Amino acid sequence: MPEKEFEPKILGFFCNWCTYAGADLAGVSRLQYPPNIRVIRVMCSGTVSPHHVLRAFQKGADGVLIGGCHIGDCHYLRGNFMTIKRIRFLQDLLKFTGFEPERLHLEWISAAEGPKFVETVRNFTEKIKKLGPSRLKQVKAA
Amino acid sequence: MNKCIACGVCAEKCPKKVLDEYNEGLAKRKAAYLGYAQAVPPKYVIDKANCLYFLKGGKCKACEKFCPTGAVDFSQEDVERDINVGAVILASGFRPYDPSKYSAYHYTAYPNVITSMEFERILAAAGPFQGHMVRPSDHKEPQKIAWLQCVGSRDLHHCDNSYCSAVCCMYAIKEAIIAKEHSHEPLDAAIFYMDMRTPGKDFEKYYWRARDEFGVRFIRSRVHSVEPVPDSDDIAIRYLREDGQLLTEVFDLVILSVGMEVDAGLKELAKNLQIDLGEGDFVKTSSFAPVSANKEGIYVCGAFQGPKDIPQSVMEASAAAAAAAELLASARGTLAKKKPTFEEKDVSQEEPRIGVFVCHCGINIASVVDVQAVRDYAATLPFVAHVENSLFACSQDTQGLIKERIREHNLNRVVVASCTPRTHEPTFQETIKEAGLNKYLFEMANIRDQGAWVHINTPEAATQRAKDQVRMAVAKVALQPPLKEFDLPVTKAGLVVGGGVAGMEAALGLAGQGYKVFLVEKKDFLGGHARKLNHTWAGEPVAPYLEDLIKRVQGNPLIEVHLNSEVKAVKGFVGNFVTTIATEGRETDVEHGAAIIAIGGHSFKPKEYLYGENPRIMLALEMDQALREKNPLVMNAKTAVFIQCVGSREPERPYCSRVCCTHSVESALALKKINPDMDVFILYRDLRTYGLRENLYKEAREKGVIFVRFDLENKPKVEQLEDGRLKVSVIDHILGIPMHITTDILGLASAIIVKEQEKLAMLFKVPLNNDGFFLEAHMKLRPVDFATDGVFVAGLAHYPKPLDEAVAQAKAAASRAALVLSQDAIRAGGVVAEIDAEACSGCQACVGVCPFGAISYNEREDVCEVNQALCKGCGTCAANCPSECITLFGFSHKQIYTQVDEALAELEEAMEEAAGA
Amino acid sequence: MDKLREKVRNLLKDNKIAGYIGYIEAEGGHPLPHFFQKDRPEEVDRAIVPPGDARYPLDKLLQSLAAAYPEDTFAIQVRGCDERGLNELYKWGQLDPDKVVLVGVACPQDQADYCECPGPWASVIDYGEKCEPVLQSQRVSRIEAMAEEEAYQEWLSHFERCIKCYGCRDVCPMCFCKECSLEHPELMATGKVPPDSIFQLVRAIHMAGRCIDCGLCEEACPADIPLRVLYKKGNLLVKELFGYETGSPASGTSPWKFLGDEVTLETKPM
Repeated sequence: MPEKEFEPKILGFFCNWCTYAGADLAGVSRLQYPPNIRVIRVMCSGTVSPHHVLRAFQKGADGVLIGGCHIGDCHYLRGNFMTIKRIRFLQDLLKFTGFEPERLHLEWISAAEGPKFVETVRNFTEKIKKLGPSRLKQVKAA
Repeated sequence: MNKCIACGVCAEKCPKKVLDEYNEGLAKRKAAYLGYAQAVPPKYVIDKANCLYFLKGGKCKACEKFCPTGAVDFSQEDVERDINVGAVILASGFRPYDPSKYSAYHYTAYPNVITSMEFERILAAAGPFQGHMVRPSDHKEPQKIAWLQCVGSRDLHHCDNSYCSAVCCMYAIKEAIIAKEHSHEPLDAAIFYMDMRTPGKDFEKYYWRARDEFGVRFIRSRVHSVEPVPDSDDIAIRYLREDGQLLTEVFDLVILSVGMEVDAGLKELAKNLQIDLGEGDFVKTSSFAPVSANKEGIYVCGAFQGPKDIPQSVMEASAAAAAAAELLASARGTLAKKKPTFEEKDVSQEEPRIGVFVCHCGINIASVVDVQAVRDYAATLPFVAHVENSLFACSQDTQGLIKERIREHNLNRVVVASCTPRTHEPTFQETIKEAGLNKYLFEMANIRDQGAWVHINTPEAATQRAKDQVRMAVAKVALQPPLKEFDLPVTKAGLVVGGGVAGMEAALGLAGQGYKVFLVEKKDFLGGHARKLNHTWAGEPVAPYLEDLIKRVQGNPLIEVHLNSEVKAVKGFVGNFVTTIATEGRETDVEHGAAIIAIGGHSFKPKEYLYGENPRIMLALEMDQALREKNPLVMNAKTAVFIQCVGSREPERPYCSRVCCTHSVESALALKKINPDMDVFILYRDLRTYGLRENLYKEAREKGVIFVRFDLENKPKVEQLEDGRLKVSVIDHILGIPMHITTDILGLASAIIVKEQEKLAMLFKVPLNNDGFFLEAHMKLRPVDFATDGVFVAGLAHYPKPLDEAVAQAKAAASRAALVLSQDAIRAGGVVAEIDAEACSGCQACVGVCPFGAISYNEREDVCEVNQALCKGCGTCAANCPSECITLFGFSHKQIYTQVDEALAELEEAMEEAAGA
Repeated sequence: MDKLREKVRNLLKDNKIAGYIGYIEAEGGHPLPHFFQKDRPEEVDRAIVPPGDARYPLDKLLQSLAAAYPEDTFAIQVRGCDERGLNELYKWGQLDPDKVVLVGVACPQDQADYCECPGPWASVIDYGEKCEPVLQSQRVSRIEAMAEEEAYQEWLSHFERCIKCYGCRDVCPMCFCKECSLEHPELMATGKVPPDSIFQLVRAIHMAGRCIDCGLCEEACPADIPLRVLYKKGNLLVKELFGYETGSPASGTSPWKFLGDEVTLETKPM
């Protein structure tokens, strides 16, 4: 029997005004993407704390995708200014400790960018598939 | 229309393809279609002119057959309705210039010569090529793009549009930058232009960035010809460089930066409304009432009034609203309907009892997701007391059903698994509110837009995802407490800081709507810098207007003028400010609900060009004074020179002061009027007579004013001659040799700056930009608002601008402020943040990351506190608190962690199952 | 030492301070942290600068004192790290700079080398002489040079030794939070030793731009987790990404405390 392909579990934190809306637009446009993602809607990407992300990895997420408004388009003016600070820092810290920073991705996707949303989810899913299950999950299994 | 659920089946099934006008004809749509993806409301329509049913006498009907809700009705006809109104606002916009008449550019003949509007669509993610930047002929990604400016603008040879369209320079730069960002290979972007006109706020810096960081080439040249390159789809451009050299370059794509025109239909409309059109067929207005047409009750804003960009259009829109509101003040609210109120049940002490409704959305969800399985799965989740499928959860009868079920099963929380909360959450919230539940005890699981529709080919996975999202929603709502909303009273008075034209117009705007106004002016007189101004650019004398304005302010019983006064302290927040005004040592506290900052600007006093050392050297307003007083130096001058950009557009002050080009041209014309034989020179870098002001430039050239261009690297030199006259030397760009002018007078077009603004900014908690001007909430969409609610900005304190624009902005600020003051109460609460004082360490990390200044530090208690009237619920503070002692209601840490856990819980089970199997 | 004692004596005598937080040579020659007051002037004769391995989180003691006597001014013995700590505590609203007087110490070279300290002296020096700072941490460089997988295995082996005693937090002069999210059950699993693998990372996030590199955490750790390396890297990243120098009074506000007027960082490509 052929071994079953690895199906990663990806968690998305999407801001209500841009990326979540972009995801809706992808739906309205019937653009298809892999069903591995589960979405948590937040009001602003600035409400996603590094704690939330780390908890997701601890709980076995293979990838975490954060989506916010483009800089300058934030519904709350500058909420996403903090998002990029926090996530860039966290990515670099994860890299230093070898905790696979590429499993955490931040993308600015506007409400009009349905195709970009789909492309991002597709590429991210593909990439995580290639990476295989997260190391943290392996610790857990052991 | 009520039945349409925007599923799109009609468009899918419609056999007739039509060119899509939204995508500038670059793509096709169906005869049954949605105007564009973000259309509000999202309702499909039938294009009667192209629909086969109408063309072929009742055949086809595919849309009707497949529509799951029976929303297609071929019998609908256009209906004419009469509406009684007290005022009309014309905001009908412009038509992009059609370059097909412009044979030289071969727009119709060559597919790779396109307009800027077409290129906008090509760049758009939802555009004809899904955001891939390709050229029309062969869908190849262009590596060399040229923009040709002033197509249909500043041109009497190929069209009748002598005016400048005011927006094209800026949008061409924007397109060039975005194209460079889109391009996979290094892209060569070249903009061919006459004058680079970037006189808006922060525009100049954007221009510099395009040039210096992005490497956009700016080529000052009028293009000689556009020709195809044989055996290719490329285009050759021949152009004359400033030094006279004729060059040829080949481009993959040529973009025509088309200007703005008034549509023929609008000219007809103007005729019917009996309002006058002026130059270029734009609606004629006075500089002193820039949004009023010459018939009472008819107002105009945006590009129908003259070519302009978004910020200016938005300002005028608010100004027009203010003008109409003043006229109709006595009737305000008389047609408004009140919503009924519902008694709310206290469920805070109850265990959660959750009802889950899983929607079929016709076949939209049900054809992919196994909605019965999702329903049955939901029944197994903790706290779920009732589950049910519904064909259309959003339909009127299902709303009734949900209310019934809430009563029947004593539900205290509801989850609807259907479409997106972005469109439907309010509907369901309203429903549960009517059933006596707090509207926040509700959660949606998006299993359509982010489920069935995007996983069409993997129904099992789509069903699994739907179950997971329902489980997450149920777990989240179980933790959801009822949220309180509360009303804050509004003090129905406004404070205006600054007694210049902007301040006075703003005060009159508020008083005209019936509100008390406190007008604070630092000097002992009203009028500000307008007192020193002779004429507007359109030639209207300023003095009589100003005199009348001051009289109207002083005579208005609602306006309390505080001269010799300054704002000393500001307490409170939107709707409830208390401001201390200091007047010659006395202090008065005034209460107001909104504030407008209109402290104006000042002329920059240069240290170059011998300014201050010779009475023959004058700044713009000093020249106005000399003209007004018939100063012999001016009256007897044989030669006059103006130098532009004195202190503007330089590294130290990297902005354009917007008004100086027009003002110098105006003064030059005034000098020519005194003595038509006078030699008048204007030394400039880019002549920025934007919009209809271009006609002044044209007039000046016709009257013999000589324009000489210089570069920042080769600024003119000024020397004093023995007889007191001046020698100005500048390098002539066309001849490339120095040119010496002996002149009697020298006008310096110096920059406009703001002074003493920091203190005020601090008191009102509003930001300044790097150049010291007040920084609005959004450059384009909220040009007079601050991020801080209840505080607004108008006039030169915001950015240098001419009188007509200052008046428009003042009226706009009054309009925005009146919006606050007209409310009986400000509704606050709901999704807002709260700080747990017990756990707060007073580190104040939250204070600085709040975009709205809603958090303050309470020194006495050593804790931070959220002012929920100012909080907009973004949660940036909650994520910033190391102790997590800040809760964003509705999105608490606990709720987010729970959603994370639930999202990944199934995974664990699945993994265990897989391991077992 | 005379210079230091003289300074403390004068400060107490002139009523400039309510007390001095420093070290005393206790019976048997042991150095112990001590609060010197005016009514026991003779104790000042025994005021010392302890050896590097007998340091205590004096900044932490000062915080408790300042909270109890908010009106009083205190003097405190500071090394370079302690002063960086004070600077951060001022910025984070935990201490009032007007109510603190520095008694400064310059660390000897061996101490600076051991700590890989980039600033081993205080801005006022009442004891010791300036030595060479260590501008680059070899301990950090070693990990940076590793392949990711290797780094991961090394860190994991460290983290798995954690017995969750919270010693790192309890000794840390910068851990001033009343409530510690490491103890939030929603974030961190309870009743689990070793704790969740993310335990040290959560703390590292909190220390970035806040850790003053005193190294007390590492010394306190019974499991010998090289915490200092993790936090040193956190500070390096904060400097790299935001240009913020932790503990420097000239460096402005911590990047975690304001939004900023513009964004220069870009999202990482996938």
